[in-house]
Amino acid sequence: MKRLFPLLVLLLTPLAGLWAEIPDPPSPPRLVNDFAGVFTPAQRDSLETVLVAFDDSTSNQICVVTVTSLDGRDVSDYAVRLGNKWGIGSHRNNGLLVLFKTRTGEEDWIDVNIQVGKGLEGAIPDVYASRIIRNIMGPHLRDRRDDYWRATTAACEELMKLASGEISEPRDGVDEDEDDVANAIAAILTFLIFAFVIYRIVKSFKNFNNRYGGGSSGGSSSGGGGFFGGGWSSGSSSGGGWSSGGSSSGGGFGGFGGGSFGGGGASGRF
Amino acid sequence: MKKSLVIVLAIVAVLAIWMISAYNKLVRGEETVNNAWAQVETAYQRRADLIPNLVATVKGYAAHESETLENVVRARGYGNSTEPTEDNVAAIQQQESAISSALSRLLMVVEAYPDLKANENFKDLQAQLEGTENRIAVARNNYNDAAKAWNTQVRSFPANIIAGIFGFEKKGYFKADEAAATAPVVAF
Repeated sequence: MKRLFPLLVLLLTPLAGLWAEIPDPPSPPRLVNDFAGVFTPAQRDSLETVLVAFDDSTSNQICVVTVTSLDGRDVSDYAVRLGNKWGIGSHRNNGLLVLFKTRTGEEDWIDVNIQVGKGLEGAIPDVYASRIIRNIMGPHLRDRRDDYWRATTAACEELMKLASGEISEPRDGVDEDEDDVANAIAAILTFLIFAFVIYRIVKSFKNFNNRYGGGSSGGSSSGGGGFFGGGWSSGSSSGGGWSSGGSSSGGGFGGFGGGSFGGGGASGRF
Repeated sequence: MKKSLVIVLAIVAVLAIWMISAYNKLVRGEETVNNAWAQVETAYQRRADLIPNLVATVKGYAAHESETLENVVRARGYGNSTEPTEDNVAAIQQQESAISSALSRLLMVVEAYPDLKANENFKDLQAQLEGTENRIAVARNNYNDAAKAWNTQVRSFPANIIAGIFGFEKKGYFKADEAAATAPVVAF
């Protein structure tokens, strides 16, 4: 199978041109994705630290992506697809995407796009996004200045200011969605345990009646106790699973939260 | 005698339960498409609402381009909300692409007026227009996906029987058009 893989890639390569490919989300997840290589590693790390801290403190996710090609797509179309594919932002759709298409030989211009998740459209209307591109990023990019770093940090600063005015709640390990899932699982488990207990009781009563035709209930109660022990321990182990899942997001960037984009934002060409 | 009656009753009960669940599934499915359609209508309405502002701003700088301006105003006019039947979707797409082309002609004319292009108010309007066009594109894509799922649902057996009885119909698609593929680029 592993040997077949390069062959498969070779066979599918011509198709990739027809069906423009949006890059897969980074693994492990990162907020700064410099595919075009315009930042130094130190710049990338410091920006990542700032954006992760902002995500932790306000739950708004600002993702910065640089690419060398849009695969023939319109810049905002590309940005919407990438944002939706990666799921930038939480269930409140509070993701922001700053996308650069860098200057290349064939396409001698810079495309910039800021996509605003639906949950932040109130705080950052299209006009604000456009002004950030025009008046804040523009001076660093215009006239072939091409200072991606200054443009990005200045834009992120402004975006953070605007976004935190709308949604500002510390991120806690477990999302509401996950809570719902956990609750549903807990409910199902509880139901199953009860059903099983009742089944056992009914069955043991039947056995009891068959064997002794009425009398003391010592035997059946010890059976029930044994089951109970097993039931709860399995229940608590599933609880452990959830809590460890939650705490794992404590360290670096916890990952994208499945937010979606509806086309709000602005773009510009320099 | 009694046994056969029980069997008949059981079959009727099972059929009734199946019909109810199939019907409810169709209702839910149609609600999803209608919701996606409402988003499309909202996006179109948003664009229609922008046009008077845009025209007023351009008029201040380029009054003698009255013909282009009138074309935009005439093309504007998104009607009342309608059901997304196949005919309606095709009609609305035609109407809206007329607006798109009138708008892109207007933006082309504007190229000849550097003062207007440098106007901050006009730049803001342009940004709003661009955002609206993007929202239309996203809403249309989402609607097409929802309509595709719905049409599959309505046409597959045995749900199509229920759909036929209760008059659930296929929904129309937006076809990819040239105007949308070449959204105006805003250069600064």
